[in-house]
Amino acid sequence: MKPLYLITTVIVGALLIYGTLDMPRWGDPHSPASTHVSPYYLQHSLVHTATPNVVTAVLADYRGFDTLGETTVIFTAGMACILLLRRRRKG
Amino acid sequence: MPAENAVLIIVIPLISAFLVPLIGRWKRHFSYFCTIGALATVSLISTSTLLKTIKEGNIGYHMGGWAPPFGIELAIDPLNAMMLVLVSVISLLVAVYSYRSVDQELSDRMVYFYTLYLLQVTGFAGILITGDLFNLYVFLEIASLSGYALIAVGENGAPLACFRYIIMGTIGASFYLLGVGYIYMVTGSLNMADVHQLLPALYDSKVIAAALAFILTGLGIKMALFPLHIWLPDAYTKAPSASSALIAPLMTKISLYVMIRVLFYVFDISILENLFPISRMMVWAGFAAICGGAIMAMAQTDFKRMLCYILVAEVGYIVGGLGLANAVAFKGAILHMVNDAMMTAGLFTVAGIIMYKIRHRDLSDFKGLFQTMPLTMCAFVACALSIIGIPPTCGFFSKWYLIQGGILAMQWPFVGALIASSLINVFLFFRIMEMGYSFRPSHKRPMAINTTETGINEAPMSMVIPTLGIAASVILMGLYNQVIVNRIIAFAVPMG
Amino acid sequence: MIASLFHYYNYWMFIGLMMIGFYAMMAKRNLIKKIIGMNIFQSAIILFFISTSVKGKGASVPILRDAHETHEAATLNIMQYTNPLPHVLMLTAIVVMVATLGVALAVAILIHRRYGTLDENEISLRR
Repeated sequence: MKPLYLITTVIVGALLIYGTLDMPRWGDPHSPASTHVSPYYLQHSLVHTATPNVVTAVLADYRGFDTLGETTVIFTAGMACILLLRRRRKG
Repeated sequence: MPAENAVLIIVIPLISAFLVPLIGRWKRHFSYFCTIGALATVSLISTSTLLKTIKEGNIGYHMGGWAPPFGIELAIDPLNAMMLVLVSVISLLVAVYSYRSVDQELSDRMVYFYTLYLLQVTGFAGILITGDLFNLYVFLEIASLSGYALIAVGENGAPLACFRYIIMGTIGASFYLLGVGYIYMVTGSLNMADVHQLLPALYDSKVIAAALAFILTGLGIKMALFPLHIWLPDAYTKAPSASSALIAPLMTKISLYVMIRVLFYVFDISILENLFPISRMMVWAGFAAICGGAIMAMAQTDFKRMLCYILVAEVGYIVGGLGLANAVAFKGAILHMVNDAMMTAGLFTVAGIIMYKIRHRDLSDFKGLFQTMPLTMCAFVACALSIIGIPPTCGFFSKWYLIQGGILAMQWPFVGALIASSLINVFLFFRIMEMGYSFRPSHKRPMAINTTETGINEAPMSMVIPTLGIAASVILMGLYNQVIVNRIIAFAVPMG
Repeated sequence: MIASLFHYYNYWMFIGLMMIGFYAMMAKRNLIKKIIGMNIFQSAIILFFISTSVKGKGASVPILRDAHETHEAATLNIMQYTNPLPHVLMLTAIVVMVATLGVALAVAILIHRRYGTLDENEISLRR
């Protein structure tokens, strides 16, 4: 089975590298990722949220729903561990 | 009804999931009633949302009041409103059904079971309702994590099966995340509608090809598309009856929904078609899944395991139907997605009832069951006929659309596989029915607990009534299939 | 080729790291090693995302300077700050990763309780 896994890994890696070939080069300040949505956060977050840390502003406000999901994930994991690891009380 | 109500579809199960452990500390079985109450409310709200989308068009709700490309949008159209109704109704019926089974299998951990049950429904609802690619990933993980836990508490061997599922599922989710990251790199946006507008200029980019490949592979693992299905039979067979009745019908369908959303609403399949033969690949993937699933189903002696392989084949019907790329097949695929969720839920609940009464679920355990458990077997027959595709059950109509679509697209192998797998289903289910009618019940098994003079030894009503409810809706959805197709699915068809 | 190596080596390093984890997830026989592979894989994805937020030499962390004085949107130079969005996404993804790790370890504990080993070969012998 090991050669099969190795081939899969190589294929997946090659596909990932193939995908990067058309990407904006690393650190390009004019890449779409840096020019489409993110300037809005940098420019407006102080006025909208009064938070100098833009990451905090986006995390807790613009994309606060993601953060709700994130805390739910933690809650889910905690409940999952209790459900799985709780042993029956003796006697 | 104001648009704000749509958000309640996520919020109610989420808040109840936080409340259930607290209430459960006080009175254990109140956690059950709390779950039922929450899911019943969600069913009502999602039904009214569906009616609203049909009447007034799509709903877009901006979370936190931030406009879409910057904030997260909940986007509801008839397609996901219908899926929300399906998820909430099935989860409600399975929740009602689950009490006795959970009491038997996991009595000391019931409270946590229902907490995770609600979180699972939250995850499903979030995946369906969100209009943001990354937010979908977060909810996909909520659904997956609670699913892992619900599966791993099952019988002997469940943890190992679940571990394999965790590994595969994490690979799937990570591939999806990588795909979303690649899309983000070249579009700069995560909102589905926004990405849809930005993509047409970028289709010849290698980044988009790689992103699509990774998203589809990731979802393929989650939906158990044929060569990637290896985690499914073990995990769903060994899960507790109540969890498999919830997860088996819904998780695959939710992943299929995400695939539809990505292929038809984020990407544009008609443009993709010019770049590489994606439709043909999907038809062949569907063909392989149907053949593989149906053949493996014949080799099984465990009823639940047989259902798992049938599920693999059914995923093939839908993926192939989407690949046929004409309106009839697309309608058929979506209708089949809804129908299949309902009828597999019915069959898994029947499997759970038999597990509850007889503690075994080999095919030979069906001997004489028509005599001892007539109501359960009545539900079983309705769902089985629907899987085979016999009118007036709903399975017939969606298969009819799929076959028509296959003939229109001249995909003869796919049509052949559809018909052949229906015949295999005939063989599989008539064998069980024959056993149920013609043999005396075997008394080797510890089943004669309180047999009445007539020999009827039916499962508790709290289990039988939801199962009959599912069976009735299988027939009703068949009778009213025109309403579903013309009023709901017709709005979702992207090609004319 | 050399130019693309220069432009993309950063992505390729992370892809290499990802593939190490991916291979370990599939090929290792010990369940804990699989989990470690899973962690490497997910961490590499996170590094990959974070590295996309870089904006050349002049840009620093996205915490606005002089924020408590008057700061008009027009005067703010967005080239001074890196892209905040990947950071936000990865904060969420890190949490998801930790949660997955927790559940995977819990299941591994269950397996160990039942079979007394975490080696796949031995488990298949003891079934």
